[in-house]
Amino acid sequence: MTVFTHFLATTLGVQALGLEGREAVLAYGFGVAVDVDHVVKAPYYLRAVGLRDKRGYYWRSSLQEPVGFLWIAPLCLWLGTAVPLLFYAIHLLMDYSVSFEKMPFYPYSRWVTRGWLVHVPDKVKEAVLFTILLVANVALWWARR
Amino acid sequence: MGPPLKRIADRIVRPLVRLLHEGLGLSPAQITWASFWASAAAAGAIAAGRVPLGLALMAAGQVLDGIDGAVARSYELSSDQGHRLDTLLDRASESLIFLAFAVAGLVPTMHALLAITAVLLLTTVCDRSGLDPGFKRVVLYFGTWVPWPTLFTIIFGVNLAAYVIGLLIIDCQFQNRMDALGGDLDTVASRAARLEAAESEAMPPTTQPVLSEPPGR
Repeated sequence: MTVFTHFLATTLGVQALGLEGREAVLAYGFGVAVDVDHVVKAPYYLRAVGLRDKRGYYWRSSLQEPVGFLWIAPLCLWLGTAVPLLFYAIHLLMDYSVSFEKMPFYPYSRWVTRGWLVHVPDKVKEAVLFTILLVANVALWWARR
Repeated sequence: MGPPLKRIADRIVRPLVRLLHEGLGLSPAQITWASFWASAAAAGAIAAGRVPLGLALMAAGQVLDGIDGAVARSYELSSDQGHRLDTLLDRASESLIFLAFAVAGLVPTMHALLAITAVLLLTTVCDRSGLDPGFKRVVLYFGTWVPWPTLFTIIFGVNLAAYVIGLLIIDCQFQNRMDALGGDLDTVASRAARLEAAESEAMPPTTQPVLSEPPGR
């Protein structure tokens, strides 16, 4: 999923749960900013592909895979909040609905999966979800105005 | 510790290495166990509220922990099994010592358990990532100046951060493998994973002695 869709999903969650301050920062950190691993992969993309746009490049890392729960769960216990776990799980649920290859438990397992809803075109899933999230965000904001 | 540092450390402890191995006839594995028992005694002393004694015993355990590797390297007794035993007993030693601080009421039990968790997580990847900042029990020597809960926060934070960075390093290694493979990007992850699995299965078993025992003893 694109960073915009993750942003809409996180904003909806933040609004619905009424999160503020540190909790809101954690929500956006684990719901959106985990995509920062694309920056780590950028030099690899530039070296392998160059500046042209090539779809399907493996941009993912364990920073946005289920293996991340191994460090996020202890972090939540330390911080005394489940917000990182919740928004990280939402991020993963969305990513796993897109059909590119993913390695959920690497480096502990080399199992590769494409996630769910693999028969529905990715663009359709993204467009539908983006629209639903946008409408829900506006509706919630309107209702609380 | 990198190889040059290890060589320097080996040179410094050589007299002790000779005494333990040639004088007393101890194998690296026996020294590893001695290190563990010293750490267990340290944990007992700390749990009983005798922290200075505990830290002194912990230091003795750490010296022995450094010497077992030096004996193995000096007498060419290194083995995968010895490395595994060393890692296992190191983690067991740290766990006992961390829990001892909780038993003594110096830190909340949750802090001790989370510090243990972070250290264990890092251990699962540090051999592959090559990243281990070494912020484990050694941090506890600063207890005279820094409050214990703060030290446990540092241990937890540094080891958890090193774990996350270690995962990213391993991911980057895998990315290199995928980039080298090339071809259809839609299947590159599964092809690289199969290749990595095949390579790890093809790796020959260790030819080193199974136990770190000197020949003829």
